[in-house]
Amino acid sequence: MQSSVLDETVVDPVPLVPLPESNGRGRRSKISAGDRRFGFMLALPAILLFLVISLFPLVSGIFTSLFKQSLLRPGRTFVGLENYGNIVGEFFDRLGTTLIFSISATILPVIIGVALALLLNSRMRGRNVIRGLMMLPWLLPGVVVAFLWSWIFNGNYGVINYLLNMVGAPSTDILGSPLGAMAAVVIAKTWNSFPWIMVVVLAALQTLPTEQLEAAALDGATRQQRFRFISFPHIIGPVALVAMLEFIYNFGNFDTIFVMTGGGPGDSTTTLAVDLYNLAFGSYDLGAASAMGVLWLILLGIISSGYLILNRRLETR
Amino acid sequence: MTRRSEVGEAISQPRLSGRGRVALAALVAFGLLPIYWLTATAFTNRSDVFAVHRPLIPLNPTIDNFVAFFQNTALLQDLANSFVVSTGTALLSVFVGGLMAYSLSKFRYSGRNALMLMFLIGQLIPGALLLVSLYLILGSVGLLYTYTGLILSFTTFTLPLTVFLLKGIMDALPDDILEAAKVDGLSRISTIFRIVFPLVVPGLIAAGMFAFMRGWSDLLFALTLAGPDKQTLPAGLTQAFIHEGTADWPGLMAASLITSIPLAIIFVLLQRFFVSGLAAGAVKG
Repeated sequence: MQSSVLDETVVDPVPLVPLPESNGRGRRSKISAGDRRFGFMLALPAILLFLVISLFPLVSGIFTSLFKQSLLRPGRTFVGLENYGNIVGEFFDRLGTTLIFSISATILPVIIGVALALLLNSRMRGRNVIRGLMMLPWLLPGVVVAFLWSWIFNGNYGVINYLLNMVGAPSTDILGSPLGAMAAVVIAKTWNSFPWIMVVVLAALQTLPTEQLEAAALDGATRQQRFRFISFPHIIGPVALVAMLEFIYNFGNFDTIFVMTGGGPGDSTTTLAVDLYNLAFGSYDLGAASAMGVLWLILLGIISSGYLILNRRLETR
Repeated sequence: MTRRSEVGEAISQPRLSGRGRVALAALVAFGLLPIYWLTATAFTNRSDVFAVHRPLIPLNPTIDNFVAFFQNTALLQDLANSFVVSTGTALLSVFVGGLMAYSLSKFRYSGRNALMLMFLIGQLIPGALLLVSLYLILGSVGLLYTYTGLILSFTTFTLPLTVFLLKGIMDALPDDILEAAKVDGLSRISTIFRIVFPLVVPGLIAAGMFAFMRGWSDLLFALTLAGPDKQTLPAGLTQAFIHEGTADWPGLMAASLITSIPLAIIFVLLQRFFVSGLAAGAVKG
């Protein structure tokens, strides 16, 4: 299902591994019923694994949400929808924070990633070296990114404050203020994500219809017009897709925020993921945590449908 | 012909204007200065970091921070755990995911599209949504705080990844090869292990390394499902260097570099593959 996206964006003419030529649809099947059964048998281990470690936990979470259950003590009592009543207000608070974080941390890397890809698509010396080096922020584990930016923003010895002091400005504890903390986690996540988007756009730019661009240039189209009517429509599909994925992943981000702010100061950066962790492993309230998860799951269903529809539309384009 | 394509390249890949150069320089600085700061801090003396008028380059570079890491038995245990769990995750995901990918790629049966959808959605499920249930389930079967339990929990996000990566690769295998194996009387199981998997070894390795990286980088499950003895480096880092709000920043940056090095090595080995793999949306951003 994803292979069509892959097709559009293959960059390297000599990939390490062969890339798909078709996504398999419409291929004549010469397979017997026995082979069909065998094919399904091959899928069974993965299906069982997925059912046990992903689907079953999701479903059992729905049950847990109906009970009062502590992390520290065994046993549980049925309380119906009480957990939901207790956390629904909190859920919408955290949802707001989560949306602020995930939308900002999607828009910023998309802008930077697209800009960098367009700039790096120019002819220049050392282009490939720059491309390679710019992948480094993506490569680092999330915790490393979070520690690094905590250190950069550190209120006493951070390099940002050091530079501020050099020009005579006073030190500020950026991570200590609600707005500063949110900005800091968004910047850290942006720094971590933009290479991914850069690569996708660079890949899309490799398959620009050169002849169309030439013809447009001969017909007197300006550089802006060529970008507006040829290049931009060519990259907007892949960009929309990665933006959607980036948003979904940011929505569930845990490590950046947990390490940098722990959700603070106050609740100012407490997203759903951090809150769910705090409920379960800070307040030991598994029922409330599960109820939070169920409401989140409903939301995820809606968001994922958006992604799947977008994916399908780009595939059939 | 040559002239034509040169013209085409000049149009599709124009030279940068002056403003473009400035913008590029600014973005490259944003990308790379933090990496410099990570490295510079890791080589700085612990006392120098807190000096008021400190230089921005380590004038007396030291490897003490790295030495300290390798003298810390708890962190060394975490490092070993990281290798065990990430490798286990990679092997399990590639084997099970490889069979699944082969099935999706070369066989047609009812429910196949539903299965693809299931794994596509599986890629989108955040770990936090599985956290409480995995904790309870692993606890009830005695796998909490074990390597196996941690590997299984990492597999929740690496399995969909390897399935789609490997399906893309297996789609490119010509059906004729499989037909030929059949004609030659090779059993269906032997076809997998003697024809299909050997032909896609680079893909299996790449998928395994992706799974390794994802397992290596996880914090949430490592923090909650592993316990102090089995936890991996990311969880270890959150505990080893920060005490009551103050931190040994040079030590933490050195440990961060050490945590990142295996991923850098994998990146260099797989550089070409990363481009297409990333583009497939198969890797988290």
